[in-house]
Amino acid sequence: MSASNDGGPRGWLYERTGVDRVWDALFARKVPEAQGWVSWLYTLGSATLFVFVLQAVTGTLLAMNYVPSPDHAYDSVRYINTSVVMGHYLRGLHHWGASAMVVLVGLHMLRTYFMGAYKYPREGTWMIGVLLLVVVIGFGFTGYLLPWDQKAYWATMVGTNIAGQTPFIGPYLKKIFRGGPEMGAATMTRFYALHVLVLPAIVGALIMGHLFLVVWHGISEPPTRAADADAEKEPGR
Amino acid sequence: MAQDRPGEVSRKTFLGIVTGGIVAAIGAVVGATGLAYFASPAFKSESEDWVDIGPASAIKHGVPTKVDFTQRRRDAWDVIEQRSSAWVVTSNGADFTAFDPRCTHLGCPYRWDADKKEFLCPCHGGVFNEQGQVVAGPPPRPLDRYFVKVEKGRLLIRPLVKRAIA
Repeated sequence: MSASNDGGPRGWLYERTGVDRVWDALFARKVPEAQGWVSWLYTLGSATLFVFVLQAVTGTLLAMNYVPSPDHAYDSVRYINTSVVMGHYLRGLHHWGASAMVVLVGLHMLRTYFMGAYKYPREGTWMIGVLLLVVVIGFGFTGYLLPWDQKAYWATMVGTNIAGQTPFIGPYLKKIFRGGPEMGAATMTRFYALHVLVLPAIVGALIMGHLFLVVWHGISEPPTRAADADAEKEPGR
Repeated sequence: MAQDRPGEVSRKTFLGIVTGGIVAAIGAVVGATGLAYFASPAFKSESEDWVDIGPASAIKHGVPTKVDFTQRRRDAWDVIEQRSSAWVVTSNGADFTAFDPRCTHLGCPYRWDADKKEFLCPCHGGVFNEQGQVVAGPPPRPLDRYFVKVEKGRLLIRPLVKRAIA
């Protein structure tokens, strides 16, 4: 297919940017054939990416009406839920999307592990994936505090106390997480900055690398039974 | 993409159309929801609340009086108390006029000069008469007015809503 010969605006664009070849590389690439329910396991990465985009969109909109401060956080979340048009729905999407992210990356990792898809030459994709798992959990931990209700407060109290149990550096780590010796305003602004500035930047870079490697190496074949070896082990077959 | 034979749709084309349709549907739901959320402030009207600023009898006939008042109002998720004031004028105790206390030139607070019977702005020498019309100086328009009414002897104004000058 050489779309570059197209006349009109499409051909003009393709000739100058090559997006047609980028499109082909991303979406017209060959993927392994899988039968039955196993083929659904190959959708987990795309599903994670979809939910991530949804989280970015809904999170951006929520940030327009949210204040990361102990005296306004709870009220501003309630304002989103009760007074902003579609606010309750968008916050619901972000809330459930957060859980879906963790579930999906977990399943995606299990599928990669049990199919052996992390093996040569895809170790780099796996390592970036492990980092992405950590970042997703970081999103979950920092986002959990932001509604500033009882659950948020005590979950972060427990979480930062766990960090405090780290040998030697624990007490310092806890204070770094909390932005001081006590949980409060500085904890909220810190978690908010991590949640909406630091982690999105990191996750964006990691996703680009992960997706590049997925496209570069192609998707691994589903594991198959090696006929000769299995015949040796199971003489009856 | 593979060329379809006339009258037939290939599996690839069909899946492409279905996928495009699903993407469009999800995009429409999320897009419309997000747009409604983002743009809904455009359809919010200004506060309609009338603020009680004291007894009407406290305003002397023919003497503009500065009335200070505290306004409690909602500010999105917050409730704030805003101190503000208005110049109230009446000639008969029945018809009242309330002026925004800021000069229409650059927003300085002006004062009533009882001898000259004029409002004087100290910043750039703006001068208004008792009806709020510009007498001298740089102000581009008469003093802004608030809606004002009397109910059961109390003066009520809407300090957020400017009234068009008749």
